[in-house]
Amino acid sequence: MSTLKVGLIGAGGISRVHADAWRALGAEGFVTSLVGAEEIAEEYGFELVADVDTLIGLVDIVDIVTPSSTHADFAQRAIARGLDVICEKPLAATAAVAATVARAAEEAGVRLFPAHVVRYMGEYAQIKAGIDAGRIGTLAVQRFSRAGSAPQTPWFFSEIAGGGVIRDLMIHDIDQAVWFAGPVATVYAVQNPPTVDDHVPAPVTAHVVLTHRNGVISHIHGSWVAPGMPFRTSVEVAGSEGRLRYDSAEDNALRTDAVLPEGDTDYLPPMSPQESPYFAEIADFVAALREGREARVNPADGIEAVAVAEAAYASIASGAPVALPEPSVVPDAAATEAATTEATSRNAEEATR
Amino acid sequence: MTAPTPLRIAVLSFAHTHALSYVHALAAMPGVELIAADPDGAAAPDDAPRGAALAAELGVAYVETYDEAFAWKPDAVVIAAENSRHRALVERAAAAGVHVLCEKPLATSVEDAIAMRAACEKAGVILMVAYPVRFAPSVRDAIAELRSGRLGRILGVTGINNGKLPQDRAWFTDPELAGGGALVDHVVHCADLLDELLGERARSIRAVSNGILHAGRDLEVETGGLVTLQYPSGVIATIDCSWSWPMSSPTWGGLTLQVVAERGTVTVSPFARGVAGHDAHGETWSPVGADLDALLLDEFVRAVREGRQPQPDAGVGIRTVEIATAALASAARGGEVVALA
Repeated sequence: MSTLKVGLIGAGGISRVHADAWRALGAEGFVTSLVGAEEIAEEYGFELVADVDTLIGLVDIVDIVTPSSTHADFAQRAIARGLDVICEKPLAATAAVAATVARAAEEAGVRLFPAHVVRYMGEYAQIKAGIDAGRIGTLAVQRFSRAGSAPQTPWFFSEIAGGGVIRDLMIHDIDQAVWFAGPVATVYAVQNPPTVDDHVPAPVTAHVVLTHRNGVISHIHGSWVAPGMPFRTSVEVAGSEGRLRYDSAEDNALRTDAVLPEGDTDYLPPMSPQESPYFAEIADFVAALREGREARVNPADGIEAVAVAEAAYASIASGAPVALPEPSVVPDAAATEAATTEATSRNAEEATR
Repeated sequence: MTAPTPLRIAVLSFAHTHALSYVHALAAMPGVELIAADPDGAAAPDDAPRGAALAAELGVAYVETYDEAFAWKPDAVVIAAENSRHRALVERAAAAGVHVLCEKPLATSVEDAIAMRAACEKAGVILMVAYPVRFAPSVRDAIAELRSGRLGRILGVTGINNGKLPQDRAWFTDPELAGGGALVDHVVHCADLLDELLGERARSIRAVSNGILHAGRDLEVETGGLVTLQYPSGVIATIDCSWSWPMSSPTWGGLTLQVVAERGTVTVSPFARGVAGHDAHGETWSPVGADLDALLLDEFVRAVREGRQPQPDAGVGIRTVEIATAALASAARGGEVVALA
């Protein structure tokens, strides 16, 4: 088998864990980014490439780890030239655009993998397996929580640019809720403080409550607290016969109690490939590609997560619950075309402000 | 130092299982004379011990009727009847000039709760609501830390009051006597803590519920629920009130409040102190820490002796009933947002 050539588009916060995974898989790496590509190229021995279009011409698969507003456009460009695509979440700012990307991939006969990494975190995957095996009977109530430092890059604080605490952070747990309990009928969301004039405040907290089509109810809490806040996630699912739960604060697999010099507290060891969810994720995508099978996350999952996040923002705007339409596999071509054009021009407009 | 004047306290009804721990706590207090009456016990559809038999087991003097209990001229009563029967007993106590500690929720309707407060105010007697969780030392510490301002403003709260189905007393799942299911039983404790922590009345309430847990029992009430509240200051909160702990759990359940502030989060679980383990039958849990019912009763008895209105008072009793009843209304209307007038 020839060595896989991967093109990393973006060199921001999440790029290193992806690069770690590609290196562990023995892929030949290429990287392009407006900022920071030199560091990644040097650190991982990737080839530095001047721009996205050149990169697309050099590789077998692209891995998009850029700010969210650019995901759909880069994905479309790679798909148009016949490449398989891994795309960080969210797949796009709106479900309509996400569906357009998915349709383009299908029509081009290439694969599209939305990177919802929590599906590859052992504890969450174990809960999913427990539910599917019937260990807790019929699922009834789910609760998810995710809180940490607010990010420092400005685009995270523009909902139009694909940011916002629900679309960026809570989309992980939206995807988990749907993965565990199935499609969503109704979404209700609240946020404090509110987003005003597309400026997401920080610190900020939000709650999203889902009613799934099978009657299961889910609560999702997400917060961006002040910088320096330790990251913590938790999940608990209850069914007619039992409950399963995980709280990262109770994870004692490795714990250091020590006296350390000031400012020496943020050391994060590199995750071994055996336990890195990012490695598991990318390895699954690569294997799915080679074996021609489904991956653990498919484009429809990426679209649904974005649709629920979008409905959450609509709920906040209206102050009322929002009903989601019955899931339809293939959206109307004309409608998605129009939505893409609109979103693209809106992004362009935002960028020039 | 002189011994305190003996105080006469009558426990009215053993319908709520908390009556048992109230009797234990009161019996242990110096200078308290105690009797109990449980006239409705015999008619209860479940086979839990009630009435004279339970009184004998608890070692408390027993009278057959409420008439006899009031004829004994108590200084105060502790009401542990079914939720919808609180009002008649509170009004009767007020008419007799007797101070009241009433089991939560104060009533099954806001109208009843307001009438109860009016009756006690008019009679000049104490009306305290039995919310023991706010007396937990860990809750006191959490509230003090949040009030210190060290963590900045409070932005949001997740309240979790999950537990087993209260199956040893059938009325808990009787919509008439209880007023509802999990949305009534397990929303009000978190609502009380939110009331004290935030010091403001909720602006809007939205709830969804289902009956998937214990569906096989054909209950007429909801067993799972999520209640989302918004406050005038902007604070958002959600309460998970589900009876979602399986009956095989080693303890009744628990309560957790996770408070998100600008510079940190505080998670407080007053029932999480204890020793976990396993024995021949499976998982075990031995709780450790203060007896919250004893702390609650201690404050009630002190207030009666000192002639002052203690907290939690009828005001928070009414506001928490308001939240539970609005949650029921919202869930009944498919999750419509209910604004409080």
